[in-house]
Amino acid sequence: MKRRRTGLAAVAAAAVAFAYLVSRQDWWAAALTRLFPTLTQAVFPSATVADLVTQHLQIVLISSAITLLVGLPLGVWVTRPSGRAFRELVAASVDFGQTFPPVAVLALMMPLLGLGTSPAIVALSLYGLFPVVSNTVAGIEAVSPSVLDAATGMGMGKWRILFTVEFPLAARVIMAGIRTSVIINIGTATVAAATGAGGLGSPIYSGINLQNGAWVLEGAVAAALLAMVADSVLAQVERAVAPTA
Amino acid sequence: MIRLENVMKRYGETTAVRGLSLEVAAGEICVLIGPSGCGKTTTLRMINRLIEPTSGRIVVDGHDVTEQSPELLRRGLGYVIQSVGLFPHLTVADNIVTVPRLLGWDRGRMDARATELLALVGLDPREYADKYPRQLSGGEAQRVGVARALAADPPVLLMDEPFGAVDPLTRERLQAEFARIQRELHKTVVFVTHDVDEAIRLADRIAVMRDGQLQQYDTPEQILDHPANKFVHDFMGADRALKRLGRVRVDAVIRADVPVLSANRTADAIAERAACSESRFVYLVDADHRLEGWFDCRALANGASPESAITTVDWREVAVRPDTSLKEALSRMLGLGFRSISVVDGTGVLLGIVGLADIEETMTDSDAHIASVPGGLGGAGEAEA
Amino acid sequence: MTPPAAENAQVAQSPERGIDRVAAFGAAVAVVACLLLPLTVFRANRIVAGSPHTALSAGPAGWILLAVCVAALAVAALARPSVRGRVLPLSAAALTVALAWALGRAAVTLRAGQPVISRVSIGAGAWLVAAGCTVLWFASRSYDGAASFRRAAAGLAAAGFAGAALIGGLGQLSIVTEYGDRTAEFWAAVGTHLTLAGGSLALAVLIGVPLGVLSLRVRWLRTTTLGVVGLIQTVPSLALLGLLVFPLAALGLPGIGPLPGVIALTLYALLPIVRNTYVGLSGVDPAIVDAGRGMGMSGSQLLLRVEAPLALPLVIEGVRSAAVLVIGIAAVVAFVGVGTLGVLVFEGWGVQADDLILLGAVPMVVMAVVADAGLRALARAATSPGIR
Ligand SMILES: Nc1ncnc2c1ncn2[C@@H]1O[C@H](COP(=O)(O)OP(=O)(O)OP(=O)(O)O)[C@@H](O)[C@H]1O
Ligand SMILES: [Mg+2]
Repeated sequence: MKRRRTGLAAVAAAAVAFAYLVSRQDWWAAALTRLFPTLTQAVFPSATVADLVTQHLQIVLISSAITLLVGLPLGVWVTRPSGRAFRELVAASVDFGQTFPPVAVLALMMPLLGLGTSPAIVALSLYGLFPVVSNTVAGIEAVSPSVLDAATGMGMGKWRILFTVEFPLAARVIMAGIRTSVIINIGTATVAAATGAGGLGSPIYSGINLQNGAWVLEGAVAAALLAMVADSVLAQVERAVAPTA
Repeated sequence: MIRLENVMKRYGETTAVRGLSLEVAAGEICVLIGPSGCGKTTTLRMINRLIEPTSGRIVVDGHDVTEQSPELLRRGLGYVIQSVGLFPHLTVADNIVTVPRLLGWDRGRMDARATELLALVGLDPREYADKYPRQLSGGEAQRVGVARALAADPPVLLMDEPFGAVDPLTRERLQAEFARIQRELHKTVVFVTHDVDEAIRLADRIAVMRDGQLQQYDTPEQILDHPANKFVHDFMGADRALKRLGRVRVDAVIRADVPVLSANRTADAIAERAACSESRFVYLVDADHRLEGWFDCRALANGASPESAITTVDWREVAVRPDTSLKEALSRMLGLGFRSISVVDGTGVLLGIVGLADIEETMTDSDAHIASVPGGLGGAGEAEA
Repeated sequence: MTPPAAENAQVAQSPERGIDRVAAFGAAVAVVACLLLPLTVFRANRIVAGSPHTALSAGPAGWILLAVCVAALAVAALARPSVRGRVLPLSAAALTVALAWALGRAAVTLRAGQPVISRVSIGAGAWLVAAGCTVLWFASRSYDGAASFRRAAAGLAAAGFAGAALIGGLGQLSIVTEYGDRTAEFWAAVGTHLTLAGGSLALAVLIGVPLGVLSLRVRWLRTTTLGVVGLIQTVPSLALLGLLVFPLAALGLPGIGPLPGVIALTLYALLPIVRNTYVGLSGVDPAIVDAGRGMGMSGSQLLLRVEAPLALPLVIEGVRSAAVLVIGIAAVVAFVGVGTLGVLVFEGWGVQADDLILLGAVPMVVMAVVADAGLRALARAATSPGIR
């Protein structure tokens, strides 16, 4: 219990520190100018780091929200009698989808939806769906039948069982799926900058195209830190929702 | 053959084995027994150097075990453990020839050895050789475990609760079979158990341990009759006379001269012939002398019809084998409610019977020993014996 | 997501009651896509905006496609279950052929009288019909005793597809044109992609497996290795490539080109390989290890004869995850100047040439799917029947 609380505190502190670091554009400017004294423009001119992180998070959060809104009900549905006929189809599609390269999913969305932020969001929410659905089904199916029997025997209704028995017991596995999904999305969103979606990929692309190492570093450091902070936050959430301490 | 000299093993603060000296003669079974955590496993594993002693010396066959590499030493010491530890990815035959393979035998010799050993432990080689461990029952897996330990014909067997994880009936059979194999092979065996009956049945000598110390090392008879201290006395249990029966085999007291009749007659013909018999029961056998049932002369005398005086039985259910212990035979008798029990061989051929009186006689003998136990040891349970 | 046996049984039974909901869903998707979404998109040249055309504008072949979709829906909904098991694969085959044929006819009709640089590309409707068709194939698998019909149907579908490609005008589609224009570049990209991914994977196996083995014996190595590779895994691939530039430059090595690519891919591939090697080895029952040691196996004999065979399926499973991962990330490596399939995709994004994007993306998907299936099969083959 105590260790869990220190873990939470450490992660919260890291998130706050990251947010503060991102807000200090002057620090970035100073550091990058120091590291790249020969460049006339050592800081990405089109947007501040804070703006880039905000854009990036916006894409990731919107697409993750869509993923959850679709993925959780879908995963639950195929474990209910009404959706069981589709369980195999969904499981096979999800397995198949997970072998798709993320770039390919982005690429295939492009001809259908064009360039910009929204196709990127559609692609990310679709790709993020696979681990969420897969883990939701696995987590719910791992709940032992005897527990369900006992719950039914005590007179609990189907919905009550879902929310008070199945979800809590499956929470950790489901949360692990969400974590995987969000981290993949953060990474893929970086690549999506090439399709004009914005975010932390933009300085990296521009930097590579214009041979400006400072911009590359600016984007790469911010993106790597964002991913690590998000991962440790989600890891804590995952631990916190685990059924047993 | 095996000699432990003042062996000690310490784990930090705890001392698992302290000052243990023990000698096991060639061809004998030495059973290490004692409550959980008393250091039996530790002692056994020091012999094949899976654990290195903190101090003391262990000598096997005249050589200090530290003289050769642990690997070479272990290939000469068969090793059987409670959890069996069969390799799940190998077939039964491949499991058995693990050590021969390490020793570089050729394929033909290994195959022949696997077949031979499967037959020895009572498993049909054709059926079992190519099975995988997960397809075996617990008892079958234990047999394979024993076969595997015997593969390279090591003079010494180290067995850690080898029959601990199976049901009592299977354990009984495995013990009988192990005793038979041992009569054939004369291995030097160190056998760990915490089942007193198993120890009494199999041991040539029993080493009773407590908290890492040897309490008494002697023959089962001596340990039962002359326990060295209260701990040994209590540990062996109150029903020592009964336990002693575990040492005696049915064939030691069998009565072979039982009246028999062919079962292949009418009830009246049987009744007529049985009437002239002196004993109460006349045993009915088939053409191959296999037990089919018996005829109760007293019931006939009391006015029952000849048909109802005949009891037809399945020998597998009501008879014991010659190598069954008297303890087991007695408990079967009590279970079936009989005053005597028939003895058959593996194919059901009637060899004779054992009566309650014969067993009682054996017990009276041991009562004489019990009377000589030093005073002050007798507990409340003593009266039953 | 392997389902428990009981679940399987239930699924297998479900088509017996009334309509086959899975097949009906697939057919319904195909019908709706036929009616509402563009089967093809016509462009006057490679990169101008296109005009969508539904199936029905493709002439008789389009109507036939719609009819087949409706027929498949009828089979899924109305046929008796015993008959359905046989007719369903046939309808799936018919749909496959009808789609290929309709696409080919649409390409030929739309391009008739247009300049050679005109393009007809595959529209969203066609993709969805294909998806619906796949669902039909999938649904047909849950019927027992119709395996020969499924095989025959698959043969028919392949023959019909080949026919559509040879004489039906499938070759008039823009992706084929694009391929024709860039054959050499395409195969070079495929080669580079495979070499880069395969090389990095091999390197990761060479480093990762020993690391996993050592992690089992050395505690500090386990915590640091798993911690470090786990951390790397979270870093976006593009960011890692960007970050690698600087240490490489400090060493006087090129910050772009194959070197950072191989380093990045190897680092990403390490996590599943190290983790699975470690988990596989540590999962071996201690009693089995004890028995092996007790019989006189040395450390290396124990590893080779007992631990490795037991852990191998899991290790290969790790290599499989790594392979899929690496094939995907190899595309991103195009940004640092390596000519993988990513080059085609990103160039396509740059000039909005959809066909070029597809030409890069489709083989990537094929590679990932083939690597996935191949390594799954290898893992099965490497699993002793005793532990299957
Ligand atoms: N690796 C170890 N580290 C620390 N203590 C140990 C270790 N192995 C054994 N012990 C201790 O040594 C003592 C003897 O253990 P051992 O396994 O020999 O007992 P045992 O007689 O075989 O018991 P059981 O009948 O339960 O198998 C126990 O108190 C045990 O806790
Ligand atoms: Mg023990």
